[in-house]
Amino acid sequence: MAALSALHYRFPPGSAYRLNRCLFAIKSDDAFRARFLADARAAIDEMELDDTDSAALLRGDRDALVARGAHPYLVFMADLRLRMEREAMTFEDF
Amino acid sequence: MLVGAFACAHTPQLLSRPETEDRDLVLRVHTAFARVKGRLQALRLDAIAMVAGDHIEAFFLNAVPALAVYVGTECAGTFGRYRYRFPIHELLARAIVEQGIERGFDLFYTQDAPLDYAFYVPLHFTMPEPSVPLVPLHVNVYLPPQPTPRRCYEWGRALGEILRARSERVVLMASGGMSHFPGTDRYASPEFDYDRRLLDQLTAGRGRELAAITAEELDRAGNIELRTWITLLGAVGDAKADVYCYEPSWHHGNAVVEWPL
Repeated sequence: MAALSALHYRFPPGSAYRLNRCLFAIKSDDAFRARFLADARAAIDEMELDDTDSAALLRGDRDALVARGAHPYLVFMADLRLRMEREAMTFEDF
Repeated sequence: MLVGAFACAHTPQLLSRPETEDRDLVLRVHTAFARVKGRLQALRLDAIAMVAGDHIEAFFLNAVPALAVYVGTECAGTFGRYRYRFPIHELLARAIVEQGIERGFDLFYTQDAPLDYAFYVPLHFTMPEPSVPLVPLHVNVYLPPQPTPRRCYEWGRALGEILRARSERVVLMASGGMSHFPGTDRYASPEFDYDRRLLDQLTAGRGRELAAITAEELDRAGNIELRTWITLLGAVGDAKADVYCYEPSWHHGNAVVEWPL
């Protein structure tokens, strides 16, 4: 049996609440995502992240974010939503 | 009356296909969805009760319900250019909450939560015409600790009993799975063999065995969303599954299944 620490999806520690709240806002809040795209540092300041979390988020460093307690799914979708606006991705809509 | 039971994959890439996705595979899943839609039309439904796992969209860390029911007049969700709004079968939703609580399940209910794509991606393809109202049922899959598979199975058994005692013609639909690992370094290597073994069990009518799976095993197999299927299995008992399709993409085991009742 794998140790609990080896689980892919773990309990989000309270210490990571602001970080997860920021990732959730990038994923699901169109207005916040627009502010983040315009000025990521100012948007991060709204969320009162500490320097380590801010730096990891600005680098888009998934492993560092997850190590800090970020939920992997939130990291994944926040990154995807940002890429969908930054890059010319094409989709076939059904 | 519980007149049908289905499980459907819900990856957004089936709705809005990026270039990374195999077009033919996506279209094969659509063909399976179309079969479901045909069945739902033939079943002359009054409502669809849909069990789905929220992708941290309706519920964030301010309140993490294990099991929830959307009760109200309507629900809505948005994904890029897609906008969905579904009437809720309020009488049925209320009966499920009230009778579920009466049976010892401490259900959370909401009249104001955004609808997650786990609900509307399958409904985009399978909602019968004319459309029928929905009862969205939530199972926490992404925020540990999630409800145990055994608890999901027991809730599903109660749900099945509640639905069978109703006069409305209702289909139970589970949304989710199969193996995938979004946001982890396993994203490109799902456990397809695990999925195939599960589908063999379900085809043989051995769904009750899934109640004994541990939370840890589901996580390891990329199948945390299987809790929605296990809930459905509680309701259908030992019915044998008819697998419409199992399509493994580079990141996801896409299955569409019916349990003929």
